[in-house]
Amino acid sequence: MKNPHAAKRGPRPRVQTNWDYRAACNFIGGGTGTGLLIAAAFLAWFDLPVLASLLIGLTAVGFGLLMVLWEIGRPWRSINVFFNPKTSWMTREGILAMPLFFFGGVGVFFYDNVYQGISIGLATTTVAGIVAAGYLYCQLRMLNASKGIRAWSEPSVRPYMFITGVVEGLGLTLCLPGIGTNLGVWLALAVLLIVRAYLWLAYGQNLHKNNASVGTCKVIDQFGRQYFTAGHLLPIGLLVLAWLTSTLLPAYVAGILASAYGWYAKYTIVNRAAQTWGFAIPRTPVRGGGESLVLGSQQ
Amino acid sequence: MSETRDVPTYCYNCVAGPDLMKVRMEDGVAKQVIPNYDAEDIHPGKGKVCVKAYGLIQKLYNPDRITTPMKRTNPNKGKDQDPGFVAISWEEALDEIAEKLLESRAKGLKDDAGLPRLAVSFGHGGTPSSYMGSLPAFLASWGGPIDFSFGSGQGVKCVHSEHLYGEYWHRAFTVCADTVHTRFNVSFGANNDASGGPCATWRHAEARARGARRIQVEPHLSVTGGASAEWVPIKPKTDMAFLFGMINVLLFEHDRDTLDLPFLRDRTAAPYLIGPQGYYVRAKDSGKPLVWDTLTNTAVPHDTVDIKPALDGSFTVADVIEKGPDEDSYQYQEIECKTAFGKMADVMAEYTPEWAESVCDVPAETVRRIGNEFLENACVGQTIDIDGQTLPFRPVAVTLGKTVNNGWGAYQCVWSRTVLATLVGALEVPGGITGTTTRLNKPLGNRLASCTPGEDGFMATPLNRTGKETWESKPSGRNAHKSLIPIVGSGPWSQALGPTHLAWMFLEEAPDGWSRNTYPDVWIIYRTNPAISFWDSNKISQTIAKMPFTVAFAYTADETNHMADYLLPDATDLESTQLIRLGGTKFVEQVWDYEGVALRQPVVEPQGDARDMTWIATQLAKRTGLLEAYYTAFNRGAGGVPLKGEGFDFSLDPTKEHEVDEFWDAACRAASMEFSEGKEDRDLAWFKENGFYMIPYKREDWYLYPTMVKHNLRFELPYQERLTRAGEELKRRLHEHGNSWWDEQLKEYEAIPTWHDVPALYEQSLRNLGGKPEDFPFWGITAKSAQYTAGSNVGIQLMNEVGGNVRGHGAVIMNTTSAEALGIAQGDRVEVRSPVGVTQGRAELLQGIRPDTICILGQFDHWKTPYAKDLGFASLNTVSPFSLELTDATGSGADLVRVSVKPIGGQT
Amino acid sequence: MTRYVMVADLQRCVGCQTCTAACKQANGTLPGVQWRRVMDIEVGEFPNVKRVFLPTGCQHCGDPPCETVCPTKATYTRDDGMVMIDYDLCIGCAYCALACPYDARYKVEDPKFAYGDEPMPHEVHAFDEKMIGVAQKCTFCVDTVDEGIAAGLTPGVDPEATPACVNSCISGALIFGDRDDPNSPASRALAESEHFRMNEEAETDPGFYYLWDKKAEGLQ
Repeated sequence: MKNPHAAKRGPRPRVQTNWDYRAACNFIGGGTGTGLLIAAAFLAWFDLPVLASLLIGLTAVGFGLLMVLWEIGRPWRSINVFFNPKTSWMTREGILAMPLFFFGGVGVFFYDNVYQGISIGLATTTVAGIVAAGYLYCQLRMLNASKGIRAWSEPSVRPYMFITGVVEGLGLTLCLPGIGTNLGVWLALAVLLIVRAYLWLAYGQNLHKNNASVGTCKVIDQFGRQYFTAGHLLPIGLLVLAWLTSTLLPAYVAGILASAYGWYAKYTIVNRAAQTWGFAIPRTPVRGGGESLVLGSQQ
Repeated sequence: MSETRDVPTYCYNCVAGPDLMKVRMEDGVAKQVIPNYDAEDIHPGKGKVCVKAYGLIQKLYNPDRITTPMKRTNPNKGKDQDPGFVAISWEEALDEIAEKLLESRAKGLKDDAGLPRLAVSFGHGGTPSSYMGSLPAFLASWGGPIDFSFGSGQGVKCVHSEHLYGEYWHRAFTVCADTVHTRFNVSFGANNDASGGPCATWRHAEARARGARRIQVEPHLSVTGGASAEWVPIKPKTDMAFLFGMINVLLFEHDRDTLDLPFLRDRTAAPYLIGPQGYYVRAKDSGKPLVWDTLTNTAVPHDTVDIKPALDGSFTVADVIEKGPDEDSYQYQEIECKTAFGKMADVMAEYTPEWAESVCDVPAETVRRIGNEFLENACVGQTIDIDGQTLPFRPVAVTLGKTVNNGWGAYQCVWSRTVLATLVGALEVPGGITGTTTRLNKPLGNRLASCTPGEDGFMATPLNRTGKETWESKPSGRNAHKSLIPIVGSGPWSQALGPTHLAWMFLEEAPDGWSRNTYPDVWIIYRTNPAISFWDSNKISQTIAKMPFTVAFAYTADETNHMADYLLPDATDLESTQLIRLGGTKFVEQVWDYEGVALRQPVVEPQGDARDMTWIATQLAKRTGLLEAYYTAFNRGAGGVPLKGEGFDFSLDPTKEHEVDEFWDAACRAASMEFSEGKEDRDLAWFKENGFYMIPYKREDWYLYPTMVKHNLRFELPYQERLTRAGEELKRRLHEHGNSWWDEQLKEYEAIPTWHDVPALYEQSLRNLGGKPEDFPFWGITAKSAQYTAGSNVGIQLMNEVGGNVRGHGAVIMNTTSAEALGIAQGDRVEVRSPVGVTQGRAELLQGIRPDTICILGQFDHWKTPYAKDLGFASLNTVSPFSLELTDATGSGADLVRVSVKPIGGQT
Repeated sequence: MTRYVMVADLQRCVGCQTCTAACKQANGTLPGVQWRRVMDIEVGEFPNVKRVFLPTGCQHCGDPPCETVCPTKATYTRDDGMVMIDYDLCIGCAYCALACPYDARYKVEDPKFAYGDEPMPHEVHAFDEKMIGVAQKCTFCVDTVDEGIAAGLTPGVDPEATPACVNSCISGALIFGDRDDPNSPASRALAESEHFRMNEEAETDPGFYYLWDKKAEGLQ
């Protein structure tokens, strides 16, 4: 027995229902994909094999965009997404997708080619990496501009989203052939994990400080405990273990954990913890000789 | 460019109406409901209609409607039986129904038990009259008694004691605050901001805007409580203690001269002297009640001029009599006696605010403060100009809601509220409480004209006879209202205002000394669903299933017409024609500066094969050979407007057949001629264009006070001498005929009411049903929401959708702490149980309700009505008993029951 | 300048949802979509509890974040302050809905009717395919306002130039008008009463005011 037209929007903050897991996939694919491309841009200069990174990175970003296409109401009008570069980070993200795929695509197909002494692979990977950084930046700004969701409009979500994209990309990169044995990559991942852990904690604390809803804080705090341990301490520990024992497997697991928990965190932010503001009235009306109660911001 | 036109009509789907509106048509489709802006300055609600009226578009086009007559093919009736309804033609349906009517009629209009063979039930407070076209003319043409006493909750679940006592004391079938002037309103559960419609809502909003203060005293924080200045969470059914406490404060904590002494002396029976038997002390010669004149220090008849009667004190009087019950008469040479006022003070003395606190769970200081505020705001001595008349100005009012003004304890509450008004002179004057209309005293609907001198200085109010030879020992109706309820009278409305639940109960089993009711041959129902809206839904459904022949005017399938033999689809609100009277003063807060008539007209052709009620009534009259009597009745005014008057005669020729429009064209012309005193003749076409015809109504006529002064009458308060005598006579009559089952009710006949522990009565009733109070710890109450104040729209999706924004819609409202103690979380499905039944719904956890109380809004728990049956909403009716022991002397009960609540798993 | 705003007098509102229903009918919105709705808010702990009815909907902000984030420029602000959506441009990404701190926007992808899959005649009449898969919200009944102005009427004063919710309100709680015209009903209401706006922290300059008390000084 279910009321077929039960009300869904009340005065209390509610989990948003506009973007579902498909939108989370855009941030996952976009973040991890650009992370792979950013990592590739660095690693290419160290002569590490980054073709796979390029390919997987582009695929991941493409996957994210396809999920968005699936989610929007009028996909056949997608071209309209370019109409507001002046203020919309979604437009800007769309605009950057073009050079991203262009340079990344050229890099994939012409990786081993040389033109006028310049390695196509190196050149395109580098440019793609820079563009990818820009794309990732657009994504985090896009999320952050959503004033309606305090879990997203919280300023400290920005650095977190950037770092986690890089961590997720680097975590997967570590598992790719020819890269996984590189201690420098392990070290970079470990350091970035420490940074990510710090940024995540700061994010969680700022949500409390800046009056995010009780529900949002609860989900973030609860998830955060698991995230901190399994998504940071554990992979760092595994990397140390791998280093001490000179084995690869722990490092691979560390990479996967670092990435997968980053994805889970995004799903948490985008779907589970994403609550609306709700309506916390500052005071009650007098109503003819009554009193007006002054209220706090949480109701 | 689409073709748009706005069609004027009215909405009278609930007793807060009627209100004026328009339906916006676009390209022949009824698109939306809008206010009637032409009525903005005429209608007390600014030409607007409330949310429910917006549902009329869906009501019109609802795919679940029954759109053709249907006949039952499965002779077995029951909740578990499929009726096997098949579609038939109107010809067939009407022929067969007429045949049944004639068959019954041939045996006589009454059966061997002396009860009418034809029974008819209408729903919701008389509002169906505004939709049933000329059906009243058909019923009038029947030419004899029809049983209207099978109720669906109106009366007994309504503001019943207020109806009866209000009308008796001040021609107040319903009572409202004079909200346009009131400054201070203590409301015991009156939920005007939820169920008062546009008129009450506007008036109260305006009152708040000018700083008027309303305090809401009730167990849960209703919509009205929310919109008030203060909420006082009183324990259910203890309101009389609070009210007595307020009276106590006025009588004992303030100087006597702060009260309106002239009003008490001259306009009430407060100074009447009371004899040793408890009746008025009367002059031996004239029989007139005596008062003590302080100017001459003698006892004189109450209507002596230029006197100043005493209110307090004891006096010695000589050579006087008391008139007791029947022919009992007591003569005295010399006695000492007090006034009625003194007697009242004696009784009220122990009901201090401290005492009240121990009963009603409200701090004594709150009771005291509110009593003081009432007195402070009363403006005793002040006057106001109303249309050039100087009237007393007393801007304080106590209003009551259901469960306070019906059932046990209601007498005490309505008495207290009215007495409080008399203490400060706030009865029937600007700012105070006023009645709105009459339904028991004639002329119906004209309270001022019904105020005529009677005996003892009071209004003439006929009571049902209780004399040895005149008492109706064999009931003429199935709820025995004439036998049991002296105060309800025997007018056309009296049956429906009697103890309508007894009509049902006594079908199954009658008390010792009383005969069981016989079933009627034919039962016709219209706009009513007693299987949902009355108590003990399961039980009443079983009784309904035993009705031998039921004709149901049916909008959709529902729980009552599931047991019918025929379903007739009448053309609904926006598909049919009728003219009604409106304005002046009527129920709830329909208080106008205008009066007149308004038209309801079809905006589209009826859906399917639904037909206008006027056509159906005419066909029934034709087939039963009653056509001439039918037209005659309509001509006389059975349709609301007499067709003949001074200078006009639009009567329908009784020998011809007439179309629907002819009826209402005649009514339009007659009404406009009547209201214009012969100057304007407006036909149906004019009304279709303009919607209404109204003339000014004097604001002075809102108040009964000027008429009382004109006739030199007193309000029969505080002492209920006449009713006590009637009660005593009734007791004698019942006992003479071997009936002791109404004895508890007879105890309510107290001249000055005393406190009764009503909660204890409910607990005892629970024990008698086999339950223990500790196993059923919650007081179950109900309330209305603005979206559902009458049941006709439970199947309307729009109402459910917008209603969902209101806390508690479709839920079992519980105090958060109480719920958590039972392991119930917000949204959990719970079971509410009493010894009588069980109902289920989702829990809504709130702070705005007493921990010992749960509240279920509206009346749901449907199992047949489309859309409603899938909502999964609970209903208090399912778990409330039909109970003789919980019936008061006026024959009403209340929506209150002890329940348990338990989580049953699952969420909605 | 002109800035149309909505004012809700919380002293008068009783949460009846008449405006919610009137808006739905005037604008033909599908089940579940409530451009105007009234929330029922409880504050406090038993027995000190208050209940407040809060009408809401698009606030027609002065600095609307929905417009900032919209990638297609489907959302735009008119010169009179009304925030509008060009349904033909909108790609239905719902970014605007998430940017809105007032939960005011809706998107219907799979239209269902009141009684299931079959629309009633008035639903057929109201149905507009271009509203499916795109953002939608309160428009301050822009067509009525514009037509009214063209006919020389005053929004907020003349019903034929005023949003349906305001016209329908049975308690007189909703008031509409030009905030930049000191004589408009909205301006007068604001001048006479203490008021607040919701979610001010979001800094969107909402055009929706809530009255909570009459000002102590004289009126008019």
